[in-house]
Formats: sequence, structure tokens, C-alpha cells
Amino acid sequence: MTRFLLAASGVLVLAFLCLPALIVIPMSFSSANSLEFPPPGFSLRWYESFLGDPRWVAALKNSALIALVSSTIALLLGSLAAYGLVRGTFRGRALIEGVFIAPLVVPSVIIAVALYIFFARIGLLGSLPGLIIGHTVLGVPYVVLVMSVAIRSFDHRIEQVALSLGASTTTMFRRVLLPNMLPSVFAAWIFALIASFDEVIVTHFIAGPYDTVPKRMFNELVLQVNPTITAIATLLIALSVVAIGIVVLLLRRGGVKIQSLT
Amino acid sequence: MAMIRRMPAEFGYVLPLLLLMLALFILPIALMLARSVTQPEWTIEHYQDLIETSVYLRVLGRTLQIALITTVACALLGYPLAYWMRDLSPQRQVLAVALVVLPFWISILVRTYAWIVVLGNAGVVNRVLLDLGLVGAPVSFLYNELGVVIGTTNVLLPFLVLPLFAAMVRIDDRLMQAAESLGASRATVFRRVFFPLSLPALAAGSILVFILTFGFFITPAILGGGRVPMVANALDLLINQFARWETAAALSTVLLVVTLACFAMSRWIGARGATS
Repeated sequence: MTRFLLAASGVLVLAFLCLPALIVIPMSFSSANSLEFPPPGFSLRWYESFLGDPRWVAALKNSALIALVSSTIALLLGSLAAYGLVRGTFRGRALIEGVFIAPLVVPSVIIAVALYIFFARIGLLGSLPGLIIGHTVLGVPYVVLVMSVAIRSFDHRIEQVALSLGASTTTMFRRVLLPNMLPSVFAAWIFALIASFDEVIVTHFIAGPYDTVPKRMFNELVLQVNPTITAIATLLIALSVVAIGIVVLLLRRGGVKIQSLT
Repeated sequence: MAMIRRMPAEFGYVLPLLLLMLALFILPIALMLARSVTQPEWTIEHYQDLIETSVYLRVLGRTLQIALITTVACALLGYPLAYWMRDLSPQRQVLAVALVVLPFWISILVRTYAWIVVLGNAGVVNRVLLDLGLVGAPVSFLYNELGVVIGTTNVLLPFLVLPLFAAMVRIDDRLMQAAESLGASRATVFRRVFFPLSLPALAAGSILVFILTFGFFITPAILGGGRVPMVANALDLLINQFARWETAAALSTVLLVVTLACFAMSRWIGARGATS
């Protein structure tokens, strides 16, 4: 009896966790004007109203641009830093790593307020560079975490062999380390990309006239309920599922265990 | 000798990111902290402002209350789930973990929005209740504290379940078998052996949920319908509506101190649990 109750509560809690995703997807294909569930008929009208609205398309372009640029900067600098942190023996590494991971721990709203005041002073408020900087800072922890794990699991002696055989540091990076790290590099990049693409709070504070998809969604949701959101939500879920699939595949090929990241 | 010569080179790899983070993350936060005590000159008036204005105290009190309720709700829902998952077959365990992790990958906006579809006045639950004639008018699940708590619990539950499950899996089955063979009933074994061993992970996970709720912005804004502002929403108003940067800086500082203190505590409890 206890066993049954336990299993029932376990299944119910799992359902509670996954319910939001399960309900939004069928809604997005609904033909109804309101939030009728189950949907009375099938239609793609909400997808049309998303892709046919120039404001949403503009937001999508901004989101993509900011996510691509910020995640690439975070990836380049974060991977280098992770290498230095893992292979280095200098003092203060724990503290430096703390600084890199901090944006994950400090509530986003504090980063948002701090960047708002800072950007207002130096004239980056409501600018594309400002948004890219903010998103880069938020993407750094993911890159440093994923790349640290990957570099730590790569045998240091292989690098030393390459160097002792006469390769320059650059050649060693390019020909030995990078090919071995490639799956993790992509995984880290996708983490940072998704983190940026989903970002609401910092964007809401510092974006000024620029719209991103999550910022627009947030503003629409605060004001009213519009079924167009379900179409965007479903597209975002599809994007997440594709991303998670790629990440799992890449990390497995890179020999990184998912468990070591959580 | 070789070690010493290698130091600068490896520090060189860290340096670009370190400079970026110092200039664009640490410096802005430091300036914000400074601003809360130095505008126009050295002063604590902005903190006095927070204490003396009942609005801020009410928002802080409500945030604390919602954070506590969410923490208890997550513990009550998460503990049985983690305990059940512990005894599943390996394949089912993988599936269950995947389902717990799944929401992480879905935009928090989407997950919040779904609750409007389910629990809103025109939502699924209210339609069913009305059709069955159980209620005369739609039940207000949302746009009050209940709605906010449902939303925060749904978003934060995985943060409690995952570490708790990981800790439970590490508890040695032989300890419970030993207790049973010594004559303890199943209930006693759970109460005296299993539960105490899982307690550090439960405490650490609960503190994590508590911290994360404290900074919540999106869920109270959407599911609270503006009627249940939490600290982050007050910061939004202070910055984006009233342009009261000093008060916002002071309130952010309070939030930051509470967050870091709780984080240090959860690390300490987690570390103690790992060594005992």
C-alpha cells in the first residue's frame, strides 16, 4: 500500500513538472481564438501570425544576432580561461573561478540593476553592444563549467608530447587539443546560445528600444493572453529539444558524462 | 623551476576573461553597492528609506513568505519523488531523471504561460469545474499568491529533486538491511536510518530553492498579475518607472547579501553531508 502511494505521488509530481510543456504544444495548433483546451480543431494560424508579424520577426533577428555574438565571445574567452584554470598552478584559481561562475549564483535582477546603472553612466544603455555584453557575462559560467570538465578529462601528457615534438603552442591547440575538444566546444557554445536566447530579466532592464523574442513575449504576457505565444513557445520547445539532443550526443562523443555537469 | 616559469603563460589564458568579468560584472556590482551608500555623500539614508517605508518592508516580507512556502512545497513534493526514483530500475531511472531535467530546457516564460492555460479563469481546470457545475464562477487560482507559489514551485522543483536523488542513490542499502535484521520495522528504518542520512541533501536543496525564489521576477510578474510584487518586481519599478537608482541599489544590496549568505550556508551544509 505504501509502495503504491509512493509510486502514485511520484508519477503525479512528474506530471506536475512536465504538464506545462505538454499543454502548450497542442494549444499552438488550435484553431480557436481563445485558450480552449483541448483545441477544437487544427490550424497553423498562430504560426502564421508569428511569422507574419514584422515586430516578431525583428525581435527574432535581434535575438539571433545577440545570441550568436555573445555566445561566441563567451566561448572563445571562456575556453581559453578554462584551459588556464585547469592546467595552471598559479594562486587564486579558486577565487577567479568563483568570479566566472558568479553570474549563475547572483540573481539576474541584481546583475540587471547593476548593469543598468553602469551602462547609463557610460552610455551603453539601450544599445546593441550593451545587450551583447550583458548576455556574454551570463553565458560565461556555462562555457567555463563545460570546458573545465572537458579539459580536465583530457590527458595532459598528450599536449606535452606534441610540444616536445616541436609543435608551437598554437599548433598544439589547433591540431591536438581542439580536435579532441570539439564536441564539448559545441556543447558549451549551445549552452551559452540557449542561455542568451532565453534571457528575459537583464534584457528587460537594459534593452531600451531593442526587442528580443523573450522580452516581447514577457511584455505581451504581462498585458494580455495571446495564443500567438503558444506557437512561439512550441518553436522554442522544439529548439530546446534539438539543442538538448545535440548536446547529449556531443558530450557523449566527447567522453563527458552528463552527471558530472549537474 | 619549470612550474614557476609556466605560471605566467597559463595566467595569460585566464587574463582576457578575467579582465572582461572584472570590468563588466564585478565593477558594475561594486559601483552599485557604492552608490547605495555614497549618494550624494557617505550616507545610510537609502537603507533607512527601505526600513521606514512600509511598501519595501511589505514587499520584503511577502518575498520571504513566498520563498518559505515554495521551499516547503518543493520539499514535500520533491522528497517522495526522489525517494520513489531511488528504487526504480536503471532504465526507468534514466527516464525519470530526463523528465525532471526536461523543464530546464524550456523557457521559463513558456512554463509560466502554460499555467495561464491550465489554471486561468478561462483555463482547463475552470472549464471542467464550471461544466460539471461544481462552481458557479471561475475559481481564482492565478493573480494572487497561490498562483505565484504554483509557478515558482513548478520551476524550482528540479533544483531540489536532482541533488536529493543523487544523495539518496549514494546511501548504502546495507545500512537499512542491517537495521532491519536487527529488528527495526520498515517505518523505524526510514525514520531513524534513511531520513537522517538524506537530511543534509534535503537541507542544501531547500536552501537553494529558497535563494532562487528570492530573486524571482518573471513568475510573480505574470502569474501574480502585478498584485503580488516581489523584491525583483519592486526593483523593476524603482529603476524603470520611478528612476530611484539609490533605493534600487540599496534593495539590491540587501538581496545580494541574503543570497550570498544562504548560498554559503548551503555549501557548508552540503560539504558536511558529503563528509559525514
